Amino acid sequence: MAEDGNRDAPAAGLGALWGALRALLPRTKEELRLDLGESVERSVVLLLQQAADLFYGGRRSECLQTSEVVLDYSWEKLNTGLWQDVDKDWRRVYAFGCLLKAVCLCEAPGDATTVAAALRVCDMGLLMGAAIFDDILIKVAAVLQAHLLPGKRPAHIPAPEQPCLKKARNSHVSIPDLRSERAVPRLRCPSLQHFRKHHLVPQTPVILEGVADHWPCMKKWSLEYIQEVAGCRTVPVEVGSRYTDEEWSQRLMTVSEFIDSYVLNEPRDVGYLAQHQLFDQIPELKQDISIPDYCCLGDGEEEEITINAWFGPPGTVSPLHQDPQQNFLAQVLGRKYIRLYSPQESEAVYPHDTHLLHNTSQVDVENPDLERFPGFAEAPFLSCILCPGELLFIPAKHWHYVRALDLSFSVSFWWS
Amino acid sequence: MAEERPGSWFGFGFCGFGQALGSGRGRQVLSPEPLRVPDAGTDICDIGSLSAAWSYTAIVSSAGRLLLSGSARGAADGCRDAWASETLRAVLRDGPGGPGPGAELQAWAPGAALRGEPLWARPAGPEEAGREDDGAACETRAGPLPLLPGARAHLSPRPPLCRPLCPALRARRLALGAEHALLLDAAGQVLSWGGGRHGQLGHGTLEAEPAPRLLEALQGLRVAAVAAGGWHSVCVGETGDIYVWGWNESGQLALPARGLAEDGQTDAGEAPALKEDGAGLKGPAGPEDAAAAPFIAVQPFPALLDLPLGADAAAASCGSRHTAVVTRTGELYTWGWGKYGQLGHGDTASRDRPRRVQCFVREQLRVTAVSCGPWNTYVRAVEPGRS
Repeated sequence: MAEDGNRDAPAAGLGALWGALRALLPRTKEELRLDLGESVERSVVLLLQQAADLFYGGRRSECLQTSEVVLDYSWEKLNTGLWQDVDKDWRRVYAFGCLLKAVCLCEAPGDATTVAAALRVCDMGLLMGAAIFDDILIKVAAVLQAHLLPGKRPAHIPAPEQPCLKKARNSHVSIPDLRSERAVPRLRCPSLQHFRKHHLVPQTPVILEGVADHWPCMKKWSLEYIQEVAGCRTVPVEVGSRYTDEEWSQRLMTVSEFIDSYVLNEPRDVGYLAQHQLFDQIPELKQDISIPDYCCLGDGEEEEITINAWFGPPGTVSPLHQDPQQNFLAQVLGRKYIRLYSPQESEAVYPHDTHLLHNTSQVDVENPDLERFPGFAEAPFLSCILCPGELLFIPAKHWHYVRALDLSFSVSFWWS
Repeated sequence: MAEERPGSWFGFGFCGFGQALGSGRGRQVLSPEPLRVPDAGTDICDIGSLSAAWSYTAIVSSAGRLLLSGSARGAADGCRDAWASETLRAVLRDGPGGPGPGAELQAWAPGAALRGEPLWARPAGPEEAGREDDGAACETRAGPLPLLPGARAHLSPRPPLCRPLCPALRARRLALGAEHALLLDAAGQVLSWGGGRHGQLGHGTLEAEPAPRLLEALQGLRVAAVAAGGWHSVCVGETGDIYVWGWNESGQLALPARGLAEDGQTDAGEAPALKEDGAGLKGPAGPEDAAAAPFIAVQPFPALLDLPLGADAAAASCGSRHTAVVTRTGELYTWGWGKYGQLGHGDTASRDRPRRVQCFVREQLRVTAVSCGPWNTYVRAVEPGRS
């Protein structure tokens, strides 16, 4: 991980860090106020005021303690009920706690470990909190990240074929034989009208070529590049073969830890950095991708488009499932085997009957139990091996199954 | 309830709002300290009912005096029971003629002093006729509230603040978690309803239940007490067995918890010899140990929990993410989240195995009752020789 290049002059280094962080915060404590609604209890509002008072009063260690209480209490609120029902104010409170904690951690002279811890706190605020003070956590994270990697930020070096990529390739992954399967049709740079008429309206899948292949990520992204830009950032990782397994779990770790534990070094378990809005967390990466023009054919606003990163070793599997929105899946690194079933075949894919998993099929697509799921054998489908530079259109509610054949990085765009 | 001489009350855990807990210094107390209420006009010993919310505590003495401490302050007389939650404070008050019928249930906004008008008030239902709690060591009468007298309705911290209960349920006790409810009925059966994403309902799934549903896994067991934490549930059988289910993220079910192992705090991973206090042999859980004892994040149906040395439970109470149990022999065991000292072991470590609170053993006190707030724990203890 990041070397402590500041060991020679810690006071000076961290003095500069503290100055940079302090400059991001409002000058007066009155400005560090959140406008919160009824759902945040009076006792918590008092605590937030107290935390701000302590911070601006220079009582950092007490501020740190109060911030911990704020974090612990709001964490409980974030874990109560369904995530989509959690009041945004509680997420703001949580972010507030993260902000003060992260900044307070960096006041006293410390080492790279302290700064890394503060960055982790920022990331927790970004992952679970909601934006406050004009996305201040992103700015704080950027400052902390820059401090962790002094002078080690190469700007736009194109990535030659990485030896690590070859090392990471798993020879045990089977490549499906597509000759007996119906292929997803392909189009090269269709016009908006053509795409709308022939695929968006009838809701049929298609692979678009020539659309994404010039995005900067296609040349820039490599294991090394991702390590540099995002290595010290904390992300959620899914551990376990698939999310329908009993042994499946979600963990938080830095991108470096993820690469070390689940990509390199012949990992024992499957780990997948899946369905994570990495580009909101690390805006620098967002500059390497673009929103496909075809998304403008939808009803929604561009800000409402959800962009997710999917990064993992060969062999990661997303079980057959459906999503409520239209999806463009851009492949950046490696190849993915993808199978698509129309919503008309929903009965033949035997969705779970629980509310929790009703959008997930019970069938293991490449090894179906035809005794339990006899109708699956005859259900028609389209399939493909999606390669770097290609963009797959998955219509809303279309059942899709994805297996990575190589070290893979995909970017999905959910739009309406 | 068997007549008992007043014991002494102790508290430990979070007191960041200055709520009565112990010495009152600082924002947390790590070991049991004698309870001291600021400006108390009465003897703290004879507490009839204690209910702790996150930022304040409500104590009702046997003489009917209600004391609030923490983010809410004040005192009032003529009170029989109180229920404290962060969003709602409920008080059962005697009617104008003193104790007896005519009692009134009042609900107050948390910030309001006890003067002026409550949010609402209604006549309390008729007392349950001829009911008697027995058992050597009873729970603090933190119940029946949130169960209303008459058991036809219960309080809730979220609107609607008063919710009906089907009378056919014959509810005896009600415990509320962050998203679920547990009901103990007259036949000793347990029902649960509400959110279930952390397995806290105990029906073996993660699905929510809109209405009270019987816990089939406990059928045949006569349950004496139920307790609900934020996302976990505990019940105590009449024979002293403990069952736990729900979320185990901080070890609150006394099952191996991954988060604790990663912080080097887990005690789980079987130790062949247990020390007298049941702490087990502590050592870093190596990767081999982790393989032997798989971590459990969620336990969706009741699991039997063995206390060290085969002790039988008499009472249980749950905080947000911790659990406390009183044994028939007067010992207190705690486990789960310990960051604010709510486990009472003198530190802030979380634990995923039951550990005896040594303080009471050292002082030769018999613990008779326990009542947990979200992040703290209140304990009643007597000197041995007193019943």
